[in-house]
Amino acid sequence: MTAAGDTARPPRGSRDEVVLAVRDLGKYFPIREGALQKVVGHIKAVDGVSFDIAPGQTVGLVGESGCGKTTLGRCVAGLSEPTNGGVYFGLETATKERLDSLLSVTERTASQESELEQLDNRHRVDRMNGDAWRRYRRNCQVVFQESFASLNPRQLVKDIVGRPLRVHREASGSQLTERVVELLAQVGLGRQHLYRFPHQFSGGQRQRISIARALALDPELVILDEPTSALDVSVQAQILNLLHELQQERHLAYLFITHDLSVVRHMADRIVVMYVGRVAEAGPTEVIFDRPQHPYTEALLASSPDVDAHTVDLQALEGAIPDPALPPQGCRFHTRCAVATPTCGWEVDDVVRWLEDVEGTFDTLRGVTRMSPFDAWLSFEDEAAAASLAATLRSEAIPQAMRTALEELTVDARRVRVRFTPVDEVQLTVRGSEHVAACVLDRA
Amino acid sequence: MTLVGSDGPAPPALAPAPVASVVDLRVHFRSKAGIVHAVDGVSFDIADGETLGLVGETGCGKSVTARSFLRLVPMPPGIQAGGSILFRPHRTCETCSGNGCAVCHESGRVPDACATCEGAGCETCAGSGYLTVDLLEIPEQDLRTIRGNRIAMIFQDPGKALNPALSIRDQLAEVFYQHRSAELLAAAAIDGEAGGPAGTLIRRKAALRSRLLEDALLSLPPLRARRNKLRAAADDRIVAALAETQIPNPRKVMDRYPHELSGGMRQRVMIAQALACDPDLLIADEPTTALDVTVQARILELVRELQSRHRTSVLYISHDLSLVRRVCDRVAVMYAGRIAEVAPAEQIFSDPSHPYTRGLLAAIPATSHERGRLVAISGTVPELINPTPACRFAGRCPFEAPVCRALEPEPKPTRDGHQVACFIHHPPRDAADGVPTFDRQVR
Ligand SMILES: Nc1ncnc2c1ncn2[C@@H]1O[C@H](COP(=O)(O)OP(=O)(O)OP(=O)(O)O)[C@@H](O)[C@H]1O
Ligand SMILES: Nc1ncnc2c1ncn2[C@@H]1O[C@H](COP(=O)(O)OP(=O)(O)O)[C@@H](O)[C@H]1O
Ligand code: SF4
Ligand code: SF4
Ligand SMILES: [Mg+2]
Ligand SMILES: [Mg+2]
Ligand SMILES: [Zn+2]
Ligand SMILES: [Zn+2]
Repeated sequence: MTAAGDTARPPRGSRDEVVLAVRDLGKYFPIREGALQKVVGHIKAVDGVSFDIAPGQTVGLVGESGCGKTTLGRCVAGLSEPTNGGVYFGLETATKERLDSLLSVTERTASQESELEQLDNRHRVDRMNGDAWRRYRRNCQVVFQESFASLNPRQLVKDIVGRPLRVHREASGSQLTERVVELLAQVGLGRQHLYRFPHQFSGGQRQRISIARALALDPELVILDEPTSALDVSVQAQILNLLHELQQERHLAYLFITHDLSVVRHMADRIVVMYVGRVAEAGPTEVIFDRPQHPYTEALLASSPDVDAHTVDLQALEGAIPDPALPPQGCRFHTRCAVATPTCGWEVDDVVRWLEDVEGTFDTLRGVTRMSPFDAWLSFEDEAAAASLAATLRSEAIPQAMRTALEELTVDARRVRVRFTPVDEVQLTVRGSEHVAACVLDRA
Repeated sequence: MTLVGSDGPAPPALAPAPVASVVDLRVHFRSKAGIVHAVDGVSFDIADGETLGLVGETGCGKSVTARSFLRLVPMPPGIQAGGSILFRPHRTCETCSGNGCAVCHESGRVPDACATCEGAGCETCAGSGYLTVDLLEIPEQDLRTIRGNRIAMIFQDPGKALNPALSIRDQLAEVFYQHRSAELLAAAAIDGEAGGPAGTLIRRKAALRSRLLEDALLSLPPLRARRNKLRAAADDRIVAALAETQIPNPRKVMDRYPHELSGGMRQRVMIAQALACDPDLLIADEPTTALDVTVQARILELVRELQSRHRTSVLYISHDLSLVRRVCDRVAVMYAGRIAEVAPAEQIFSDPSHPYTRGLLAAIPATSHERGRLVAISGTVPELINPTPACRFAGRCPFEAPVCRALEPEPKPTRDGHQVACFIHHPPRDAADGVPTFDRQVR
């Protein structure tokens, strides 16, 4: 199918273009408390994420529940305004490089500032001027996991799929109906389905309707948030085949969000692994699966069941996902990492977490006075409790790496001072062609 | 009828009998369009101490089968259209105190002897010689002593199964008060002691039958001390049950409410609740479907570990074949209300024999599949309204032959421990013209 009625757009899929560039994206949700709803902190759902999507490419976004995948997807779709950084759309490679060099300057001159502002007006999703915004809205569409929730139960299929065409004044009357039939045919449905309601379809069929609606304006990028998670494998196979076929025909780019690693391995060209709001590792699919560099990626792979696998053993990742309102220092994964080193970000909170997990000990803690995230006085109910904590912190019960990072451990009556070596947030480093990981270890 | 710790005759040294046998189970639903044959002639055994997987697509009848064990299918609209679910309650083997010996076939548990034939084998016990009850027939009151005690169930959505208004302590306390009140009273050392109205009150409390007014009486000084002892005894058991599921700091978790816990934690609470009374059979209906892979892996490991420690038999329901492979000894594949194939877990993957099983395996994205080339099963699950006698997979099966539309295949053994309901494996003698084979693909 061709993009009927749309000639103004530049030819798509030129090598010189990135469909989407996400730069240092942050999305914080305020935590409010008390009668006055005072903001007491922020949930950093997405915190400093950058990646690109090229035309016709599928980028897979994986990570545990709550790591920020949907929030990121909503920011990319323009449904949610970023707190920091931005989402850039329709950049040519040269412009993107210019943008990156401008963004890397910490103290920009006035002329650099105005150049950046011009770029923002044309390409940054939350700053775009009218024309650019309209172009973006047409070209970026979303398919959600819960097709039931996203399809209006009181609307007929014809109206659901035809709505974007009507809103953008692409078609009306009998022409609209014909366009809808054409779209339905593309997703394996037909004219006989025009006058039915969403509840009259199976889960797989509803997902096809969502896809037809997303394709109505012939977008360049489709964000798929867990598009098959609610479906059976046999139906999932149909939808994945369909998505691939449509991508081939229309040179679509996909941002494919899923927690199913076998699906993402099958569909994605590149994979971005997220952990507590940040990118832990990103790279080509085969590299991520065959030579992962980040221990979190490894753990994720090891805990995922795979029919191909010859071993039946699953390796479970221990420990809880950290609270995104209080992300761990250094490397956010250090609280669960099996190979953590002394420089991975050991901090006062690790001591507090440890106290919480051990029966009875947390109740003896009276207060924490912090000088920094790495340095604090912990006060206890009595001297015995303080002494026993200090003894434990020196013992095998605590990971060797954490003990090494503990620079000072002083007991003063009912108080204990713990001071760890301060470290900066672990940054992404290049591990190979198009491959980055945020880990202090280099295991190449 | 007493099911627990009855002092009947010593168990006969018979062959091990399955802990449960589903025999030709039929559960239908009345709907506007007609009768939905949701479960339509399902039979399988769950051997003592094994984990049996039950897999199949949405709506194939897995949950209805599972819920039938405890008569949790709403009737109406449900109709019990036939069949039976035989269950053999067990008790700890006296010879080895549950450690496993020759008498109990290393399972640590022994079934009670059949009351009718005292072990000789008769009709009531299906020839096994063991105490056997039909879960679909026994009076509601007997079922209540089995539910949560001998058979426990965990569900897909722990949020819905836990009572949001009760703390974790109260959710679990209920199980102990209901099924272990004698034990609690003994532990609190108030069993023999109190006669009179005070004793009655405490006993009613322990059995969870006290009313609001009685609770008020119990919180007054003369009775309070005893009530507190009872509570402490229950608390100890609750903490132990939670600790077994590796919940960190169970004494703290105990005072929380379900909404304050993560999905993985809630699922652990459910498992603790289910295993609290050391049941003979645990039914897990998609216990990890709502969870992350990492949490799922931990829950699976936990179920597997507790299963081997308690030697509980498990019916593990999932729509995910790759997952079932990780936990199950045998797998039953269900399709449209019937069993398509039953086999040891490894054989399901190395030698899938039913065309539907093959289809399911081929649909899972694997490294060997080229993108866009997943082998989807064509068509959709058939309507289960008044089905005609025919193979339920006909219409979607690539190997279908005329006979498949004329007769209904029954599960029959193809080799040791492997049963398949398909005419490719069991061609009917009088249908020479149209017998299906794997060599002839029709779609
Ligand atoms: N509107 C909101 N207000 C406050 N917090 C939010 C809001 N939306 C999301 N969050 C929080 O942000 C974090 C990321 O949520 P998000 O929905 O992006 O996760 P996800 O990776 O998509 O998880 P899942 O795999 O469960 O879909 C979570 O801690 C979540 O609780
Ligand atoms: N309470 C009910 N009322 C009517 N139909 C039901 C009810 N429960 C289940 N069914 C029907 O029975 C069939 C099997 O359902 P179920 O056992 O829940 O499937 P699954 O294999 O997904 O667990 C479905 O067709 C379903 O619609
Ligand atoms: S930096 Fe690497 S080694 Fe250190 S905690 Fe993070 S993942 Fe583990
Ligand atoms: S070959 Fe016939 S009997 Fe066997 S599954 Fe296919 S349709 Fe059913
Ligand atoms: Mg999400
Ligand atoms: Mg179900
Ligand atoms: Zn024994
Ligand atoms: Zn008998």
